[in-house]
Amino acid sequence: MYKYDYIDQTLVDQRVIQFRDQVERRLNGTLPEEEFRPLRLQNGLYHQRHAYMLRVAIPYGLLSAKQLRMLALIADKYDRGYGHFTTRQNIQYNWVELEQTPDILADLATVEMHAIQTSGNCIRNITSDAFAGVAADEYVDPRPICELLRQWSTLHPEFAHLPRKFKFAINGAKEDRTILLCHDVGIELKKDADGKLLADLYAGGGMGRTPILGSLIKQNLSWQLLPSYLTALLRVYNRFGRRDNLYKARIKILVKALGPEEFARQVEGEWAHIANGNDNFTQAEWDRVAKHFTKPAYKHVSSVSKEQLIEQLGSTDKAEQIAFTRWLERNARSHQVSGYALVILSLKPHGVPPGDVTSAQMNAIADLADQYSFGELRATHEQNLVLADVEQAQLVELWRAAKKQNLVQPNIGLLTDIIACPGGDFCSLANAKSLPIAKAIQERFDDLDYLYDLGEITLNISGCINSCGHHHVGNIGVLGVDKDGQEWYQITLGGEQGNDAAIGKVIGPSFYADEIPDVMSSIINTYVAQRHEDESFISAYRRLGVTPFKEAAYANAKKKGLADQAAIGGAAS
Amino acid sequence: MNTILHFPKDGKPSFAPNEWQTLSWDQDEGGIPDLQHGASKVLMPFAWWIKHHKEQDILARAKAGQIGVWFAADDDIQKHADLIEEGKALWPLVAAHFPIFRDGRSFSTAALLRERFSWDGEIRAIGDVLIDQLLQAARVGFDSFQLRSDQNVDVALKQFDLFSVTTQNSWRGKRTTSTI
Repeated sequence: MYKYDYIDQTLVDQRVIQFRDQVERRLNGTLPEEEFRPLRLQNGLYHQRHAYMLRVAIPYGLLSAKQLRMLALIADKYDRGYGHFTTRQNIQYNWVELEQTPDILADLATVEMHAIQTSGNCIRNITSDAFAGVAADEYVDPRPICELLRQWSTLHPEFAHLPRKFKFAINGAKEDRTILLCHDVGIELKKDADGKLLADLYAGGGMGRTPILGSLIKQNLSWQLLPSYLTALLRVYNRFGRRDNLYKARIKILVKALGPEEFARQVEGEWAHIANGNDNFTQAEWDRVAKHFTKPAYKHVSSVSKEQLIEQLGSTDKAEQIAFTRWLERNARSHQVSGYALVILSLKPHGVPPGDVTSAQMNAIADLADQYSFGELRATHEQNLVLADVEQAQLVELWRAAKKQNLVQPNIGLLTDIIACPGGDFCSLANAKSLPIAKAIQERFDDLDYLYDLGEITLNISGCINSCGHHHVGNIGVLGVDKDGQEWYQITLGGEQGNDAAIGKVIGPSFYADEIPDVMSSIINTYVAQRHEDESFISAYRRLGVTPFKEAAYANAKKKGLADQAAIGGAAS
Repeated sequence: MNTILHFPKDGKPSFAPNEWQTLSWDQDEGGIPDLQHGASKVLMPFAWWIKHHKEQDILARAKAGQIGVWFAADDDIQKHADLIEEGKALWPLVAAHFPIFRDGRSFSTAALLRERFSWDGEIRAIGDVLIDQLLQAARVGFDSFQLRSDQNVDVALKQFDLFSVTTQNSWRGKRTTSTI
């Protein structure tokens, strides 16, 4: 993975000094909170319900074992012994003290990490495919471009105070694992017949209050020209994006108002003046960065079959065999190199907030990475961790070791692999809690046989319309809403990430928190009753339409509502 | 504080008295401002310039170096490229306004003035200009700053050399990453 040289290291070190001075001025009263706020946000520091929260960048999800040990140390030294992996390949600490944040950042800088631009109205931490460089379906390894653009966007002076936040995602694989079209800018990398690296750009996607999929605005852009083209694009947005209404300030609103063609035309007009300028990347810059994304020292080993692994497991215990087999099927994925696999460590054991990891687990995971995967890891936007280069022959050993840390729940891509934001338990923006809903659903669907039989279903929960829990693109989405000071939950169906990305549709009026497990059961039962053989939830939904699911969800809720009313003497709700 | 923080492209930051009075659009009384009594140099809104630039007495004052213009955050300078080209021979300085410190539109205005219009005179940041914007503003093309009056001048002077490396080009120089 990328290693800092003196430029990167100097920059993060000096950023710590700058932020330390800003914090000091905040504490001595010369910098009022209102003016400190954007400064701390641009360094990932939020003020939440109970305390400050610090969001640390894991650029495009790549993490070393050494870095993870530092994240564990920070959890112990400055927080409450755990961290939360987010839906944008970052990690958050929920209980930090303002006074200590410069020290945290200084500690992070010692392992080439920072919290720069993980929040605020600027270009945010760039996300990418968690399987970059190893996925079997990859056209282009996106990591050099991710790193070049990370550097280009870091402390970019012209775009430090955009109308609103600005998120990049970059993909280079056949299957999109980045939710590319739900980003302010999505960059799809490919190679032409001569092997030249090109980019297609999609703009104006996003979730939030107005979920929209991005529109293709530029095709076949040479990689070298990305900085000038993106400067033009961001300049148009910076100048003409709305600033009068927080909810209409994202680029998607501008792209929608102008129309993608007109937006693209304006960007082209701006770009025409700077396309040949010296902002563009040079081959030397590529080489400086790309040299770090070499393949690790893979052994020449032949692939190992499932049967051979089960034999290696050597267990007569049927339950253990099933557990291992399921894990293999759900949590291991094919690799570019024969004899290797990528392994997803599930951070979704039932009953724990999705994405939460204790410092002890972090240290153990770092050891696993050192032992089984060349000392590297990746964070996924689904809030799991990936060991990207595991020798297949070591899968049994890895499974046993990871099991001790509660990291082998074989639920990747299944109903309980829930994506959830921290919600109302922590976040001051939230209208409702997310984590108790996730927990209740995981408890309801705790039967692994059943989960396994249901197959792939994504369930995403957001505690408010800001959509950090990506509910719009969950096959089943749950959105917390506030009605008269009470927490209600709206259900959407039909969302999807990946190549057939779609925004889910609201099925009707929202439900009480305690109705949600029953509503989920009704929806799932409808699927089970009506599915064809081997038909996934989303395929069945597309064939059947919303009606049967909706009827089932409300039939149950209605019965329950009537029963509740009877119990309280028929009082009107 | 009626002093201006100057930070020329290849120079050092320092404070100097402000010679320019900034007038707002609602102070427009139809013609040329009084430049004989009180301030002799005025920064006028660009919108005012659009309206009055053909008037002979105004042109004469401008030619005498007494009129500069300031751009509001929502002025579309590219729409008036011809006026800006003409202005290059007339205005001793231009300014771009920050209605609030977190409004970044004037960063693009300054970048466009430098890149597109090759404006090599002074560009002043006016309005809600705070210490923590100085570095960004200096990099996009501003070289003088009318800080909000409550800002600490000593802290302000320290802002420009916080970083010895850069990862994108700016008006002040090429990115460090391209020098390897």
